[in-house]
Amino acid sequence: MLDNIFDYTLIPSTIKTSTPILLAALSAVITQQADILNVGVEGIMLFGAFTAVCVSFFTGSWLLAVLAAIVVGLLVSTIIGFAHLKYKADVFAVGTVINMLAVALTRFLLNTILNASGSFYSAEIVPIPTIKLNFLQNSQVLNTLFNNYSLFEVLGIVIVFILWYALYKTVWGLRIRSVGLNPDAAETAGLNVFKAKFQVILISGILGGIAGAHLSLGYSRLFVENMTSGRGFMGVAAMFFGGANPIFAWIGSLIFGLADSIGNRLQAYGFPSQFVLMIPYIATIAVLTISLASRIRKEKKQKSALNHVPNNK
Amino acid sequence: MDRIVEMKNIIKEFPGVKAVDGGQFDLKEGEIHALIGENGAGKSTMMKILYGLYTPDGGTITVKGQEYGGLTTKQAIDLGIGMVHQEFMLVEEMTVLENIILGFEPKKSGNRIDFKKAVEKIEYYIENYGLDIQLNKKVRDISVGEAQRVEIIKTLYRGADILILDEPTAVLTPQETEKLFEIFNNLREDNRSIIFISHKLNEIMEICDRITVMRHGKHVGTVNKEDTTIPEIAKMMVGREVFLNIRRKKPEVGEVLLSVKDVYVPGERELSKIKGISFELHRGEVLGIAGVDGNGQSEIVEAITGLREVEKGDIIFKGKSIKNLSPAQIRKLGISHIPEDRNRRGLNRPFTIRENLIADKFEDKEFSDWIVLNEKKIREFAEDLVEKFDIRPANIDLSAQNLSGGNAQKIVVAREIANEGDLLIASQPTRGVDIGSIESIRRVLNDLKKKGVGILLISADLEEILSLSDRIAVMYEGRITGVLDNEQATEENLGLLMTGGRIE
Repeated sequence: MLDNIFDYTLIPSTIKTSTPILLAALSAVITQQADILNVGVEGIMLFGAFTAVCVSFFTGSWLLAVLAAIVVGLLVSTIIGFAHLKYKADVFAVGTVINMLAVALTRFLLNTILNASGSFYSAEIVPIPTIKLNFLQNSQVLNTLFNNYSLFEVLGIVIVFILWYALYKTVWGLRIRSVGLNPDAAETAGLNVFKAKFQVILISGILGGIAGAHLSLGYSRLFVENMTSGRGFMGVAAMFFGGANPIFAWIGSLIFGLADSIGNRLQAYGFPSQFVLMIPYIATIAVLTISLASRIRKEKKQKSALNHVPNNK
Repeated sequence: MDRIVEMKNIIKEFPGVKAVDGGQFDLKEGEIHALIGENGAGKSTMMKILYGLYTPDGGTITVKGQEYGGLTTKQAIDLGIGMVHQEFMLVEEMTVLENIILGFEPKKSGNRIDFKKAVEKIEYYIENYGLDIQLNKKVRDISVGEAQRVEIIKTLYRGADILILDEPTAVLTPQETEKLFEIFNNLREDNRSIIFISHKLNEIMEICDRITVMRHGKHVGTVNKEDTTIPEIAKMMVGREVFLNIRRKKPEVGEVLLSVKDVYVPGERELSKIKGISFELHRGEVLGIAGVDGNGQSEIVEAITGLREVEKGDIIFKGKSIKNLSPAQIRKLGISHIPEDRNRRGLNRPFTIRENLIADKFEDKEFSDWIVLNEKKIREFAEDLVEKFDIRPANIDLSAQNLSGGNAQKIVVAREIANEGDLLIASQPTRGVDIGSIESIRRVLNDLKKKGVGILLISADLEEILSLSDRIAVMYEGRITGVLDNEQATEENLGLLMTGGRIE
């Protein structure tokens, strides 16, 4: 049985289950770098997922669907930006409100626009294309490992490196990070802190919208009420795991994706589904606990006065 | 010489206070101009207006012939104004180089940062003005003096020819101050203008060309250095004559009260880790601990008061070890503590004066019965202390945040002294406090000593250390570099010890 769970097919399935979490994590990374904890990712994602299914169903274009999800992500993040930056509302409270609104509003629109309740599936929903490389089809292993990924499963990884480069190598990144680390210093350097923070919130909205569109048109091909089911939060957790560094946040997402994939396989062997459904959440708590504990230990060691004693005496 | 800055009739109000009311200031090209006054006199506010951090509610600012009603920081920087703030505006987690170029980064293609070009430009300032710094270190790993030089280079790098420095010498040793003044002179020779905010009068007389005095937000006067004296300026500042020097009595030293034995304590920075400190404190004496901020003073105080773990060594108080006991247990044994930051540890700001005064004793039988507070007793107790320590306004139901720095500090002092402990640890007891309150707090400490209490006084202000302490221990990088009797100590030899030097 273990052989069947832990074989090479676990790799592509981990990448597939981790991508929605990764896109959410990147959405959280970009705001966290400017010291904004965007828990609204969950809601933005759900809005994006619903919008994408709707537009894809009515227009038959996945591209329009993704663009529409991005526009909706931008709109929602604009609300977050104004509430938090202009009216000084606590960003955690704003994010929570957005998340609750997303669940209720998408349920309502599911009834009124798509005339469905609970979930919506139609053969007319055009999914985001998958990348098919014909020359890989000769080998079953290569084909499974490298072929048939949905567009954003590949682009997501590209975005990881684009974000890393932008944050750590460019003028823009230096400025965003300084705004997050010491806004007073940034302001005295003549930077516009408000603008910089608004910028990252908007980018977060774009990424959140994409995360949602991928969830409903790439990862699956339908809309279900509250279909994000905590993936936005897991993204936030992955961001924390990675200390707001896109590359480490990606690793965090992969761990969650792995837990999810293993859970899915266990289900086939008759493990109670309630237990299996818990796995990603338990993994989230475990990973966060371990990363926090190791950070505390490292900090303690760094502060210790006994650290360098042998050299001095 | 031309006037390159003129500020006229500046008004700035914050909710409830007029911080500046009719402020005047002007600056000539190539001069060093001191702006002085007590805490809360409006000096910093005036300069934050000039640098564009605050918008004035009235008045005009003329810079290089152009008149403005108010500036933005961007405008101020473009006009060549640079400011070195009292709290450094540096991103600790970033390197010195990144901090200097922030906001003015030279670019390569693809919006990448051209670090090489930046370094070339910075080296020019390092060589020409004697500003030695290490570009690739993180700011959290450099000393305060170096951080200050980074701040100065930062302003020069941004093209400043008008430099504002807000109390730059407060965190420096006498030797570092000398070095800073050399840099000032180099800058002046290069025809750059400097505004120097301070309240150390002897320094001002040493380096400045003109002096502007402010009091209660108002302009008192502007004088040439040649035409004035230190007592005259002090009088302009306070509005009356001041006597800060306490007549220190020879101590009647009793038994050993506190003994710290080869203690190791973790620190916030590498330099502030306590690496093997030992000293003894007797009844009836004041032991001063001098040193540049951040050399472990906060850490040793926190270790004695139970706020920070002791990793090795022992602390003995009245014959018993108090190592790693809880702060409450340590207090009960008779150690009182005036914390260095009254807003963070000394006071619960939204709470009333009365509540703050019983913060450490509300559980005592006298003030509470089971779960109910004895309001009557508390009021009597609080009113008595407010009167004794002259806390103003004398309304015990006012919340502590409504009080000025000096009066807020008096609440802390009153509470800790009412404890009648055997040992008082006074950490920066007069920091950010007006001259009147400094006078009274110092007198209280001196009286306490006469009653046989042992006092551990930690202060970054050498004058305070010298006027109160019987013995002075100097800390440098987590160790004690020397202990001097008051009679042997001078600003010079203390300064030497503060920088890790030795006295023969």
